[in-house]
Amino acid sequence: MSAAVPAFFGVYQAKTDRLLKQLLPGTGGPVERSMGYTLHAPSKRVRPVLTMLAAELCGGTADHALPAAAAIECVHASSLILDDLPEMDNAPLRRGKPANHVEFGEAIAILAAFGLLNEAYAIIARSYEPALGAKLAALLAEAIGGDGLIAGQAADLLATEQKIDFELLERIHRGKTGSLFNASAVAGSMTAGGDAASIAALSAFAKNLGLAFQIIDDLLDVDGNPAETGKAIRTDARKTTFVSFSGIDGAHQLATELCEAADRALAPFGRRADNLRELSAFVAARQT
Amino acid sequence: MSTPPNDPRVDELRQRLRSLGYLDAGVDRFVLGPATGARRPASLAFLSSLRIGVLAALLLAPAATIGLSARMPNLVTGPRDALVVALYLAAFFGLAAALAAFIAGVIVARVSRTRFAHGNRLPRFIGIIITLLCLGYLTLWWQTVIADVGWSAPVWTVSALAIAVATSLLLGHAVMVMASGIIVAASGGGAAARAESWTSMFLTGTVAFGGAVLLLTWWPLGNGSPRTPPPLTIVPTGAQARVIAIDGFDSRVFDDITRTRPLPALRAALDGATAQLDTRDLSDAGRIDPARVWTTVATGQPPAVHGVHGLETRRVAGLLGSVPAREQSPVGRAIRGATDLVRLTQPAIASGVERRAKTFWEVAADAGLRTTVVNWWATWPALSSAGTVLTDRAVLRLEHGGALDAEVSPPHVYEVLRTRWPDLKGRAVSIASAALAVSSTTEEAAIDDETRAVLRRSADLDAMQLVLHADVTTPSTDLAVVYLPGLDIAQHALLGEGTGGEPARVSTLSARLEGIKRYYVVLDRLLAATRSVVPNEVLFVITEPGRVSADAGARVSIQGAGLGSGSVQRRGVDVAPTILYVLGVPMARDLQGAPMLELFNHDFVSRYPVRSVETYGQPAATAPAKRGQPLDEEMIDRLRSLGYVR
Repeated sequence: MSAAVPAFFGVYQAKTDRLLKQLLPGTGGPVERSMGYTLHAPSKRVRPVLTMLAAELCGGTADHALPAAAAIECVHASSLILDDLPEMDNAPLRRGKPANHVEFGEAIAILAAFGLLNEAYAIIARSYEPALGAKLAALLAEAIGGDGLIAGQAADLLATEQKIDFELLERIHRGKTGSLFNASAVAGSMTAGGDAASIAALSAFAKNLGLAFQIIDDLLDVDGNPAETGKAIRTDARKTTFVSFSGIDGAHQLATELCEAADRALAPFGRRADNLRELSAFVAARQT
Repeated sequence: MSTPPNDPRVDELRQRLRSLGYLDAGVDRFVLGPATGARRPASLAFLSSLRIGVLAALLLAPAATIGLSARMPNLVTGPRDALVVALYLAAFFGLAAALAAFIAGVIVARVSRTRFAHGNRLPRFIGIIITLLCLGYLTLWWQTVIADVGWSAPVWTVSALAIAVATSLLLGHAVMVMASGIIVAASGGGAAARAESWTSMFLTGTVAFGGAVLLLTWWPLGNGSPRTPPPLTIVPTGAQARVIAIDGFDSRVFDDITRTRPLPALRAALDGATAQLDTRDLSDAGRIDPARVWTTVATGQPPAVHGVHGLETRRVAGLLGSVPAREQSPVGRAIRGATDLVRLTQPAIASGVERRAKTFWEVAADAGLRTTVVNWWATWPALSSAGTVLTDRAVLRLEHGGALDAEVSPPHVYEVLRTRWPDLKGRAVSIASAALAVSSTTEEAAIDDETRAVLRRSADLDAMQLVLHADVTTPSTDLAVVYLPGLDIAQHALLGEGTGGEPARVSTLSARLEGIKRYYVVLDRLLAATRSVVPNEVLFVITEPGRVSADAGARVSIQGAGLGSGSVQRRGVDVAPTILYVLGVPMARDLQGAPMLELFNHDFVSRYPVRSVETYGQPAATAPAKRGQPLDEEMIDRLRSLGYVR
């Protein structure tokens, strides 16, 4: 049984899809098509939704945050392409379809990933005034760089078929998932001119939610339905995952607690943050 | 909310996640919590600093209280004092930490746009600095606490250092979170406090712990002494010690007087072996303070060890304990004046509560000897284990009556004395009158009424002490001690600060000098009237020049079986060990004084070699027993009228 996507998601998903289609229609040469193949594949757009919700929570608008949300989704799509490569996780399925490199070949897939990364920065540069654009670019660079996605992926690769400790696993998850979740929330807040306390609260929310999201991912890899998840299961069999430490029930429990902690971090916003709480409830219950 | 499964792995992972900043990262939220809506870095720094101050107060005040209690044992006399001190220190550390955090926050805000502020470098640097400062302080605090027990408590030491490391890391983390928040506020995004991994936190903690251990062992340890004294065994010498302490005695004046007037009792008392006492041990930068001097004599320890630095102390509001009231430096005087003004401190008189070393009569009583002591400084509150003690407040209590407040010990002695008080007082007045009459000479006309009144007051005081001393001392008493303040009071009133500092006419000065000389005669007659010699007596007469003739030199004269007639130069701290040696009590190795063996004949010394024990220990708990009506105010008034306090 799939957890229902919150009703309010539709509006934000549609905004994101529309802008991404407009910016990157996925037509033309093989690289453009390869970029569009992953970017426009069915997705819940959790990160862009988080960005826009954070912006609204800090007094901004979803529309003003939309380019930042789109940029983050481009970065995410790029990371998925690279993550599935044979040299990396060697995953055959992604978002219910053959992985990008399976469809277009490894070389094109790599170029498409770089294309999406560049497009992310270009969207930001084109959409915001220079000062805010620079801050958002720096935020993205940190989320991707040596302390972010790249660090997480590198640690993940080095840990394959290795026995790793819990702290290294957390560092991997923090890099691969948490950093972009954090950037999503902070970017939304920045586009709205959010204050430090708001950014800190949203950052705490994203941190807990990001890890919960990854734990659920690990669980889906163990007992998920490929038809629902859209990717092959037990691809992480060679890896140490959260489930390795806590067992399936324990992982469910900890994911739930992390989502609850994420909700508590939103306390300063009161009822205004109910949409984000729905988001965390959805993450806790998701089956895909 | 869901119920956690009974899987110990989940519990462990939950803890590890918390250490990595997930779940209830309470400190982070606490530090940044009140900054909601604050957009300026300065206001965030201010509000977060206040919260860090609260954290510091809660974490550091208890430790600082224990450390302060170890360094200033006079200050904290019980749990109530500890609580009040903890509140004071919580306020102090809270404000100090908040101020330090605010300054750090302002600096962070200033450099937040520089390259150094990118990522987590600056917050981490600030956090490390705070952690190191805090850990250094807590480690040295613990060293102060264990100064008296050394490394005999390794489990406690390891536990304390582990707590110190945890506390330091927590405060450092709080400041790091604040710094991250300020950078976010200043730059509109970017850095966010990132949790360290469990491994790196563990390694950091381990390194910090190792550093703390090194600091603890490297930093010079204080000179402590074991608190539990061994039992004292005496080798009876057959001697009964009688100790007469005469304050304000100037041997040059005495020699001058004896050329024209016979002073047989004093002369006899001052006969025998003599030791000139180095007054550097006794005075404080040339200033003679009676409580300091006579406690040094009584304990055989310098003021730094026995803890009584001066007659005047300061009581801190809400505390039973007190702090020294030295006022040499202008800053010290200013602080004292300010704290007095706001009623945080108030004047108090040095007492046994401040004393951290045993007196010779307490040691003798511990060894099972029968002892009496009358009117020595800083003897209140009287300890029940120290034989018969008539403290420096005993006469005041006997005059006022009412319930005993540790002025006399044991209590039944007070009942007896109180019943006989009119007779005792009458006898003292009678003896004083007789002594004053004998002291009158043909130069009577040179004594004015004021001088006569001064002499009368001193004579009454000394006579009262001698009468009480004679009354509580029996032939079987092994050690009897009396302190006579009359001569010092008379000198101070006639020639010292008691004159008001106004220039006197020559005739007035002449009358006052004659008054002082006449008091030596009075003293001689008082001793003659009250002294009764026991067969095996060893008499110690300790004289000290007092507040007016500070440069005249102190000395002790000793006479009795086993003693020669030589004269030596010794220190004030050597008196108490000598008295104990005469009584056959072993010497404590932590005593700074030593018995004056050169004054004894060879036969005595070879028959009674000096024996030693590890320590005499510290006085028993000396918190005043609040059974009766305290005489604090009356005591201050009395001492003020006698010129001891301003």
